[in-house]
Amino acid sequence: MATNLHPDVNGNASDDFTVKAGLAQMLKGGVIMDVTTPQEARIAEEAGAVAVMALERIPSDIRKMGGVARMSNPEMIREIQAAVTIPVMAKARIGHITECQILEALNVDYIDESEVLTPADDQFHVQKTDFKIPFVCGCRNLGEALRRIKEGAAMIRTKGEAGTGDIVEAVKHIRTVNADIARAKAALAAGGDLAIAQLARQLEVDVALLKQTAELGRLPVVNFAAGGVATPADAALMMHLGCDGVFVGSGIFKDAESPEHALKRARAIVKAVANWTDKNALIEASIEHGVAMKGISNAGLKPEEKMAGRGW
Amino acid sequence: MTVSQTITIGVLALQGGVVEHLNLLRRATAQVSPAIEFALTEVRTPDQLARCDALIIPGGESTTMAIVARRLGLLDPLREFVKVQRKPVWGTCAGLVMLAEQASAVKQGGQELVGGLDVRVLRNRFGTQLQSFVAPLELGFLSEEEKEEKGKPAAPFRAVFIRAPVVEEIMAEEEGAGGGKPPVEVLGVYRKGDAEAEGKGDIVAVRQGNVFGTSFHPELTGDVRIHVWWLRQVVDSARHGKSIVQGA
Repeated sequence: MATNLHPDVNGNASDDFTVKAGLAQMLKGGVIMDVTTPQEARIAEEAGAVAVMALERIPSDIRKMGGVARMSNPEMIREIQAAVTIPVMAKARIGHITECQILEALNVDYIDESEVLTPADDQFHVQKTDFKIPFVCGCRNLGEALRRIKEGAAMIRTKGEAGTGDIVEAVKHIRTVNADIARAKAALAAGGDLAIAQLARQLEVDVALLKQTAELGRLPVVNFAAGGVATPADAALMMHLGCDGVFVGSGIFKDAESPEHALKRARAIVKAVANWTDKNALIEASIEHGVAMKGISNAGLKPEEKMAGRGW
Repeated sequence: MTVSQTITIGVLALQGGVVEHLNLLRRATAQVSPAIEFALTEVRTPDQLARCDALIIPGGESTTMAIVARRLGLLDPLREFVKVQRKPVWGTCAGLVMLAEQASAVKQGGQELVGGLDVRVLRNRFGTQLQSFVAPLELGFLSEEEKEEKGKPAAPFRAVFIRAPVVEEIMAEEEGAGGGKPPVEVLGVYRKGDAEAEGKGDIVAVRQGNVFGTSFHPELTGDVRIHVWWLRQVVDSARHGKSIVQGA
């Protein structure tokens, strides 16, 4: 019997996708932290981060600076790669094929085609199946998630509203994804393939992927929380809502009193994600975390200030 | 020693590919023996570990696992489980790193290990994610079982290597922990493509008494054979009330 005919956990037997999605599976239950310097990357690694996201400015500073946010300087990414042994991810602009090619040539471990940067293409995302390097992409709902997976994304995250320290949008996005999946399950149960095809037209997604999602009762790839996670409790909340792990962007280093404080915050969030069902651990983590980033309420943002709407 | 009614298999659930192992274990237990009942459980605390007869340490990030295990007070109970009680333990990828006595290419300042295998592993042997790969692997230990049952060698195993470590050195007996430990057996070697003629290839599966380690991720495939093979040894070990006996 040819063993490679067995469907893997992704229901997808291609070696290429198994390896791409497999790394994300190994990151589950972990925290991926935004870092801007080798020193910050080392703090993240010491705190127990499963990976770091190398970028020039954390999202809250991207917000403050304004202007066009682009891929980070390769030199800075290399310095971070040299500093740590855990996987290093980096962000490319939505639709910016060449930034992705540069990041792939830099040998980063994952590319985040990210709405946190200024989109380069207002109609298309990158065709991610063209790359050997795996991609993670943001979503606000199941439609976006499955369109990205169809394009080749091997990992999904909520968009949230990056750089705000306000968890409300990330909660909305995971709840929407969960509700959409429940709809798909119900459609499959009630109306079989025809009902799935009908829902696929509504959601503008691939029929086979929607059916697979309905059968699994979850996204067919790993799904992390991102966008607005500021405290251990925020991180644990996202795990409670069904996320497989957590990205923390500005929440570690923004308004940290010192590198030691940032390390404490980072450790506290790692602890909260690893033990999100353990209330005592969450008490300890919340105390250890100390003062959180000040943040910006999502309700006060003007529509043009929101990043989550970027992506098609 | 009486045979326990239920054999409890734990999967260390600090981080990583936990569900994948549990899914395959669930399928594998059905193939082992109808006479034996298995309980599968996630392990996050010393109490949960104490209830286990055998343990899998899954793939993930070994640095993270070590840090989280330390903070949960699990490192010493894990060492006790592996090296003193000598209960069956299997580590995949990061789990193999955790079970090695030594590791190289570790983060600055080093990382804590559970140990148990008298080997030195090299982390990220093949490079970063772009060098991750899938390769068919001939595993003699699977063939022996299958030859007995079906009279022909087993099909190659679809081995998934993700930022994988390898065993770069087997420590000489006097260097290792010693104390009457059985020798390290090499159970799997990966040879890249046509380079078969040159070099010995990379050691990607080893066993030393009760401790088994693989560089690759059987839990990322649908292939249940290694899980079944390992569970059979767990059953033997539980029957004999001691660590896994040396086998061919």
